[in-house]
Amino acid sequence: MNRFVAFLRALLFLVVALPIGAATLALLIAGWTATAAMSITPLGVLVLMVFRRAIGLLAAADAALARSLLGIDVRPSPASGGTGYWRRGWAVLTDGGFWRQQVYLVLRMTLGFALAVAELSLIAASLGCLVYPAWYRWSQLRFGPWHVDTLPRSLVLVPLGPVGLAVAVLLTQFFAAFFGRLARALLGGGPPLSLATRRRALAAHASASAIVGLILVLIWALTGRGYVWPEWALLPLALVLSIHGWIELVEERAVLRRARGLAIHAGVAAALVVFLVLIWALTTRGYFWPVWPALGFALTLGIHWAAARSTRLSRRVGVLEQTRAGAVDAQETELRRIERDLHDGAQARLVALGMSLGLAEQKLASDPASAQQLVAEARLGVGEALRELRDLARGIHPPVLSDRGLGAALESLADHSAIPVIVSVRLDERLPDAIETAAYFVAAEALANAAKHSGASRIEIDVRHEAQRLQIAVSDDGTGGADAEGSGLTGLRRRVEALDGTLAVSSPEGGPTNIRAELPCAS
Amino acid sequence: MRVVIAEDLVLLRDGMARLLTDNGLEVVAAVGDADALRHAVRLESPDIAIVDIRLPPNFRDEGLRAALELRRTAPETAILVVSQYVEHAYAAELLAEAGAGGIGYLLKDRVIDVSDFVDAVRRVAAGGTALDPEVVAQLLGHRGAKRLAELTGREREVLELVAEGRSNAAVAKALVLSVGAVEKHIASIFQKLGLPPSDSDHRRVLAVLAYLGPE
Repeated sequence: MNRFVAFLRALLFLVVALPIGAATLALLIAGWTATAAMSITPLGVLVLMVFRRAIGLLAAADAALARSLLGIDVRPSPASGGTGYWRRGWAVLTDGGFWRQQVYLVLRMTLGFALAVAELSLIAASLGCLVYPAWYRWSQLRFGPWHVDTLPRSLVLVPLGPVGLAVAVLLTQFFAAFFGRLARALLGGGPPLSLATRRRALAAHASASAIVGLILVLIWALTGRGYVWPEWALLPLALVLSIHGWIELVEERAVLRRARGLAIHAGVAAALVVFLVLIWALTTRGYFWPVWPALGFALTLGIHWAAARSTRLSRRVGVLEQTRAGAVDAQETELRRIERDLHDGAQARLVALGMSLGLAEQKLASDPASAQQLVAEARLGVGEALRELRDLARGIHPPVLSDRGLGAALESLADHSAIPVIVSVRLDERLPDAIETAAYFVAAEALANAAKHSGASRIEIDVRHEAQRLQIAVSDDGTGGADAEGSGLTGLRRRVEALDGTLAVSSPEGGPTNIRAELPCAS
Repeated sequence: MRVVIAEDLVLLRDGMARLLTDNGLEVVAAVGDADALRHAVRLESPDIAIVDIRLPPNFRDEGLRAALELRRTAPETAILVVSQYVEHAYAAELLAEAGAGGIGYLLKDRVIDVSDFVDAVRRVAAGGTALDPEVVAQLLGHRGAKRLAELTGREREVLELVAEGRSNAAVAKALVLSVGAVEKHIASIFQKLGLPPSDSDHRRVLAVLAYLGPE
């Protein structure tokens, strides 16, 4: 009984592909057409977001069916977000979940639809065979010359019924399981598309377009060779490909990425204008009508530029206010620490020194031996005070950093570390003082933390300067558990953020600890 | 023994001049910047110049640069570089600049131990070497730890003093050993490290430092 229910459920899941497939077809056509049409205007982003929501709902509905009918635990990954209007649109396009959901729905629409039809037909035919003797008179069934028109002949078909049903049951369960796995693999979430995947996607897109174009041209060449009709297919293909390529280019170029929304808008507008001009050139070549859409594009681009500029500026002001407050805070904390160190360290030692010397002066005449002892003690005290002051000065700013640069300063830091440190520095030039100092203190703080808490036996410092960014990574093989919100790392973060840099700390319990800072250094 | 001092802080310059004069050395010039140092060395041809690393106008490493230059232009003058801090990178730069005269690199703190300091000045002026114990400690720290694993504790102590540039007699005195015992230890160290034996204290230091320097 249970198996029968399971079969019915699986069958239902397969058959649901019919309405889901129809809905998918309608949604994909409507969604992409509307997005493409509206992408001329900023409203395209809105349409895209609505479209993404609809796809998400459809996928969620199918996932709910898979859960209740097949008992497969699958939950569609939530749509990844972004802040800001353009960023949100961009987040949709780079959301791996969005594309995987579409792939799943398309498979459900094509393969699923065909399977559902085949499955239903097989079951209907099997049932028909089973009760064939009851209706053979009205049937016109014939296999070649062999006409099923007598009762004995119709009885021959009866055994085919159970066989067909058995096959149907097996196939249903097999395909239901297949789609269940597919749903889990494609709807079950995952990270956003990696750069490599996106590059492969672009390559696949380009090759598919080229193949389609080639086939059309071949067909044209093999047939009449009259009017060059493939151009009407090649133009839109080229348009879509150029927009795709431009979007990927924007993502890879740091310069363009800074104003991503505007860059994509400008690229798409340019591609569309070229497209329209080509259409004009291919058709009438009379009145130059593309000038009107071009003007419209220019206008929307101008509005977009102005809006982006003002939001960029206000966002930048917000970041600056925050990092400035952080930098001031960090400086205050640092000054308090220095003040405390001076009072409790060197100053206290000098007081003790003064006392020893005062005592020695008193005893000089009466007890020269103990006076000499006191003076010797005072001399040792001076040595201690000097050492403390030297360490303090070094903690404020190590002289070797300004004299010999980051590499030498890190080597020196490694010399003073109790834990063995491997330093590798790839730097061709001296960087601005503030950058070198911040990088140095990232390493210094990381080493101090490692020495205090990690129990590490080995630390690696890696510094490299690439694409106008200085990266410094410090990793140890200790037990982890560093507190990223602790005072030392917070001060460091503020120091780095005041230079528009970023600091990432990864230190799971059990280790290892990785601290990585990136500092922009535009020259 | 004729000495030139280059130190920008008047307090320290006068104090050091007094200290050296009291100990029987002749301070022929005490100057405050690198240009005056070059001039004084050219004029006086002293036995030794004591140079602060940080000098005007930028207070970075003008003194060290001037010292390296003097190694070439006035090789017969020994150089003792003093500083508020020591970095073995600087020591390596100084030692790499070969010259006839002695070479030294000490923390300013060392003036506190007057007899030790004067001893170091005399040693360098006589063509020897004086390397600050802090630099030696940096070199013998975890960098050297692996390569020095074969040495006994006593041999390590001897090696530290040898790297500071001390003579066998001075090492023997510091460790309360006989000179013969020290010589035996040194022979054993040099054999374990695979270094050529050397009579000159200065060349001995160079060999040890080259051995311990960065790979």
